[in-house]
Amino acid sequence: MKSALTDACTIKLENFEGPFDLLFYLIEKNQIDIYDIPINIITEQYLDYLNAMQELDLEIASEFLVMAATLLHIKSRMLLPEKEPTEEEAADPREELIIRLLEYKKYKEYAKVLGEREVKWSKAHYKLPEAIPAVSPENEIEVSPAILRSYMLELLKKYREKRADVTGRMQKILNREKVSLKAKVREILELLGQGIRICFSKVFSIRKKSRLEVATGFLAMLEITKAGYAAIEQPVPFGEIYITPGRKNDDTDPMPIIEDDM
Amino acid sequence: MSSITDTEIIIEAVLFASGDPVPLDKLAEIIGHDRKTTKMIMSNLVYKYQNSPRGIMIRQIDDGYQLCTKPEMDEYIQKLGTVRKRQGLTPAAYETLAIIAYNQPVTRAYIEQIRGVNSDSVIMKLVERNLIREAGRDDAPGKPKLYETTEEFLRVFGFSSIKDLPPLEMNEVPEFLENVPLD
Repeated sequence: MKSALTDACTIKLENFEGPFDLLFYLIEKNQIDIYDIPINIITEQYLDYLNAMQELDLEIASEFLVMAATLLHIKSRMLLPEKEPTEEEAADPREELIIRLLEYKKYKEYAKVLGEREVKWSKAHYKLPEAIPAVSPENEIEVSPAILRSYMLELLKKYREKRADVTGRMQKILNREKVSLKAKVREILELLGQGIRICFSKVFSIRKKSRLEVATGFLAMLEITKAGYAAIEQPVPFGEIYITPGRKNDDTDPMPIIEDDM
Repeated sequence: MSSITDTEIIIEAVLFASGDPVPLDKLAEIIGHDRKTTKMIMSNLVYKYQNSPRGIMIRQIDDGYQLCTKPEMDEYIQKLGTVRKRQGLTPAAYETLAIIAYNQPVTRAYIEQIRGVNSDSVIMKLVERNLIREAGRDDAPGKPKLYETTEEFLRVFGFSSIKDLPPLEMNEVPEFLENVPLD
């Protein structure tokens, strides 16, 4: 379908906000009375426009298609002869469309007013607020030596508590440093030197010693065994571990110094 | 405070320091008058500023007052070279804003019914620009969100309150719609 409008549209394709916007454009373009829309002409031009959009591979929003269907529906209703009009059907088929068009037109015009007002009032300039801190009289306190003293005492008390807390934590850190692999090796070797069989769980009892000590003791035991200064045996899985002097123990060679990386 | 002039001096200083709109209640508290008197003083002062050879004016925005430069002074202020230009709105945004302004609080469905198009992204942009905000939910199926205009809307479009919106022209009702046949 090629018409004058198709050409016009391809040359200057207006960007319409929606089907009503397009209808208005057509109504104004044709200088049509909005209350008496020649539905034939408008429908034809409306479809022409959609065709033009299609030719240009523009995506047509579904709303435009709904309006096309509405227009065609109105057109068909107007073509059909009315048979015994009842009260409701007597109304002009265009009625609903016109009401919606008028409603839309109202806001479209007002949108223009808003735009104009915005232009004017964007020319007024404002100052940024000063940062004024709130002064609340309730925060003022009466100061007397007695009050100051009580505050001072409270502060001292808090300070002491805090300090005690810190001291506790610091001791823990020191404790931890005490557990060294070297010391544990020495401990086991000393016991072995007495020529006795050591029960691991007795020497490194989890009840008496910290977890870290037990773990380090276990490592020390393995180190000593590896170096040949002790032999270990564990008769039952998960059972007691016995440490006995190893083959090198009779020698006077001292146990080689191991890296203390704990 | 004793005289009107003294009061006006205080108000001027307070509005200048504030920058932001100062609520009427706050002004009343500062100058030590009741709301009604303060309102009268303010109306008088707004008029005085508007009609005197000064570069600044007082604007009423909702229930507050704010100092600003007179719009006519813009061309000179522009020469300062530090004024940021606001980005304009799209036609769709103006349309949507107009519908919300006159019908608030209003649902998205209502806006879309009038505009005939999906208005989701437009509404989001307007919220982003702080021109509209959510105003609870409608008591309808699905509890749709309601939208209303903000103080920023009044500022941007030069209104002192929503009541200040120009009346919507009533469209002439066409005869054939008025005279629905009765028989």
